Amino acid sequence: MTTQNHSAGPTRRAFLALSAATAGLASLGMEAWAENRVAIDVDAMSNSDLSTDVLVIGGGMAGLFAAVKAHDAGAATMIVSKGRLGSSGLTPFGKGFFVFDPETETGTIDDFVETVSRSALGTNNPVYTRQVAEHSLDRARELRDWGFFDQTLANRPFMRPIDERGIPLMERVVITHLIKEDGRIAGAAGFRLDAGETVTVRARSVILCTGAGGFKPNGFPVCDLTHDGTVMAYEIGAKVTGKEWNDGHSTRSVNPAACFDSWGDMFERVPATNGVDVHHDLGVDINYRAYVTGNPVEGGPGAPQPTEEIEGGPYVPQEFQHSGPPGGGGAPGKGGAPGKGGAPGGPPPGFSAGSNVGGASAGMAIHKSEGLVPMDARCASNIPGLYAAGDALGSHMAGGIYTQVGSSLAGSAVQGAIAGEAAAEYARSVDAPTIPEARIAGIRNEILAPLRREAGYGPAWVTQTLQGIMIPNFVLYIKKGSMMQAALAYIEELRDHHAPMLRAADMHELRLAHETRNMILSAEMKLRASLMRTESRCSHYRLDYPEPDDENWRAWINIYKGADGSMQLEKQPFGTWPA
Amino acid sequence: MTIKSINGCIGCEECVKSCPCDVIRIDPDSGKAVIAYPADCQICHLCRMYCPVDAIEMAPEKSIPVVVPWG
Amino acid sequence: MKPTARMSAIIAGLVIFLGLPLVFYALGEAPRRSILKEAFSILTLLAFSLMIGQFFLARSNEALLSLFKPPQIQKVHKYIAYSAVAVILLHPVLIVLPRAFEGGVTPWGAFLTMITTLDSLGILLGIAGWILLLVLVVTAYFRTPLMKRFTQRYRGWRYFHGGLAVAVTSLGLWHAIELGRHTDIAISAFYVSLTLVGFALLARLYLRAHPNKPRMSPVSEGAAS
Ligand SMILES: Cc1cc2nc3c(=O)[nH]c(=O)nc-3n(C[C@H](O)[C@H](O)[C@H](O)COP(=O)(O)OP(=O)(O)OC[C@H]3O[C@@H](n4cnc5c(N)ncnc54)[C@H](O)[C@@H]3O)c2cc1C
Repeated sequence: MTTQNHSAGPTRRAFLALSAATAGLASLGMEAWAENRVAIDVDAMSNSDLSTDVLVIGGGMAGLFAAVKAHDAGAATMIVSKGRLGSSGLTPFGKGFFVFDPETETGTIDDFVETVSRSALGTNNPVYTRQVAEHSLDRARELRDWGFFDQTLANRPFMRPIDERGIPLMERVVITHLIKEDGRIAGAAGFRLDAGETVTVRARSVILCTGAGGFKPNGFPVCDLTHDGTVMAYEIGAKVTGKEWNDGHSTRSVNPAACFDSWGDMFERVPATNGVDVHHDLGVDINYRAYVTGNPVEGGPGAPQPTEEIEGGPYVPQEFQHSGPPGGGGAPGKGGAPGKGGAPGGPPPGFSAGSNVGGASAGMAIHKSEGLVPMDARCASNIPGLYAAGDALGSHMAGGIYTQVGSSLAGSAVQGAIAGEAAAEYARSVDAPTIPEARIAGIRNEILAPLRREAGYGPAWVTQTLQGIMIPNFVLYIKKGSMMQAALAYIEELRDHHAPMLRAADMHELRLAHETRNMILSAEMKLRASLMRTESRCSHYRLDYPEPDDENWRAWINIYKGADGSMQLEKQPFGTWPA
Repeated sequence: MTIKSINGCIGCEECVKSCPCDVIRIDPDSGKAVIAYPADCQICHLCRMYCPVDAIEMAPEKSIPVVVPWG
Repeated sequence: MKPTARMSAIIAGLVIFLGLPLVFYALGEAPRRSILKEAFSILTLLAFSLMIGQFFLARSNEALLSLFKPPQIQKVHKYIAYSAVAVILLHPVLIVLPRAFEGGVTPWGAFLTMITTLDSLGILLGIAGWILLLVLVVTAYFRTPLMKRFTQRYRGWRYFHGGLAVAVTSLGLWHAIELGRHTDIAISAFYVSLTLVGFALLARLYLRAHPNKPRMSPVSEGAAS
């Protein structure tokens, strides 16, 4: 939009004079409402138009296996990812890989599934719990062959099977839209970060391996994920689940944003495998402690553990109490020896004693609990041809709580492989989709809209506003109906008035703009699901409904877009598939 | 300040590619990595770990105000 | 008179070629890392300045020739050739070696990335300089048989060796200024000045040289400049 640059002179100066008050924030790249000084010619932007049988979106553990298995099942497969293969999403940071090895385990797979179900208070989907145990050993063997367990950085080992198979890989491409035609999936669209270019991919089948997401919180490496897959699938009619659960990781109260530092040497470790070890790892128990007693919360291995019992708080089944240092560093302990991989929910290995603050991963639920609602055991969504795997699939593999240590990475690998094969099979059964040009043009317009805005809200400012609404302990973690209603009013304001007016001056900001919009929708989903679940169970804790309510709430909550565009919620009883 | 400095960059782009949050870009004039969007750094150190010549120095402080659940 | 002058020359040499680089290193802004990495950095910096120093430990440095016997100078020149040049030849490995002791990229992975970044001018200069340095070392080692092949014998060899040294140093210096972690403005200016003086000494020698027989017999172990 070069025209804007021509007219920028006097107006810009006048504007800056007006907004002197925000100059401090502006220097941080965080202006609120401002003129949009676009550096690129939006109208001259090209589009690369690609097509494939199976499109895998996401380059984490799930995306890797989805692509490899879809390819091996005979489908022309392509991966696009916002970041680098094995160096984006959560995959680079997980180091413990659960393996159910019948040779070494004393119990059976049935025992394992039952133990997980008891800890998860029924919130897990036993079909997916069993699946991870059944397939984990095979996936671990493949990873071992590719060198995954020999190094700290996953990119090179992940590239091995991709290079060997010649699977096309497009990195640093942000997908913003799924395309549905004739009632089934037809492809996806997005843009490149490194060039002024949109990308459209026509595909017979799409596998969302886009991971989880959060509110770009401080202290957990999830700031590149904003539930993009969930939101774009929701937009085309997919059902979404698990939004009321909360991941309960904490971080240090000094420099809380420094995730590397608060995880000790975890990120520098070489991945390792571990066997059956089922917990009930809340994390949000320190949120409750902080809420009741004030803060800071002392904790971490080596620190004196809090001794005084706190009345009330999230319920932990008797069998799973004291499975680790209570409340140590926020999440119960299961760090493991150095060199051994750690696990989600575990206290950061080497976590120094000192005061901690919760909410490191604010906006993220328990891995595998949130995402698209699976229609069957093969990762299919309710949109024909659209699959999801890993953190993008609401498989409830572990339940609404961290149960089996290290099963998140393994779950992504296992589900990725299964979804890959299922998608390849589906792709064989359908014709290549046709997408009308007008449709593509319309989507491109939506993608580029923030770049075309003459003025608008800065995505970074809207994000911080959203964080201020959602992240407080008394909103997101220690939930109450009245407070969540209040927060919802704010979020609806952001949704209706700010999301449509986000501005972007370059491709990086364009990404931020889309991510911000996705966070707003995710926030709405979290609030509505949390309001609906009038009980406390696992990582969902309501101060006004502090007990589990088995009579009414042995059910998951599914969210979908109603015919009028509004957010609809429904119950799906535990242990059933969607109607 | 998140990523503190880059010294001895050879312009291989490993950090640009391995940053999940798109914080680093190559300066077209010098051909070297620059900290283009420091506010978006999540301080995960992947760039530092991928850098073949150990050019990247990290700091634990975030460059924008930090929102946490309580303080 | 002569012993004190010799002593001053040695001290001046040490101060200029070892002391000053250390001072520049200490004042530099590059953040400190582990002891091993810093030790390798210092080693490389010193090796580089000693390599520039070779221009001053040669026949071209008349001041030095008046204080020391050529074989003495030649001996030091040779020792530096063995030690400092070895460090320079090895420095690409020294950069990646410490990665073996920490998480992150493996030394071999880092090395591969480094030497395949061929769209970087600094890397190209480095590779070119490294190859020429290797040629310089190998030819210096086999100089006796080699000299016989030059029509002008020793003089031919001297031009060859000097010319190669100038090329290596220029490439190395440019490479270091392009890429060096510690080569900020101050240390770059220092290295450039030293190098220019060294080149000037050599140029003076060559320009003054008579086209007739060398003063020293080709087989004698003269300072190889
Ligand atoms: C600090 C930490 C420690 C952990 N420790 C363990 C552990 O020890 N054991 C364990 O089992 N699990 C652990 N986990 C969890 C585990 O890492 C994750 O559950 C798992 O890696 C998820 O894999 P995934 O492939 O499903 O998603 P991710 O790895 O999150 O991958 C998502 C991918 O999607 C891409 N993407 C997202 N949005 C878009 C878009 N709009 N367009 C294009 N691409 C997009 C991203 O770039 C990324 O490549 C840990 C997680 C963290 C953060």
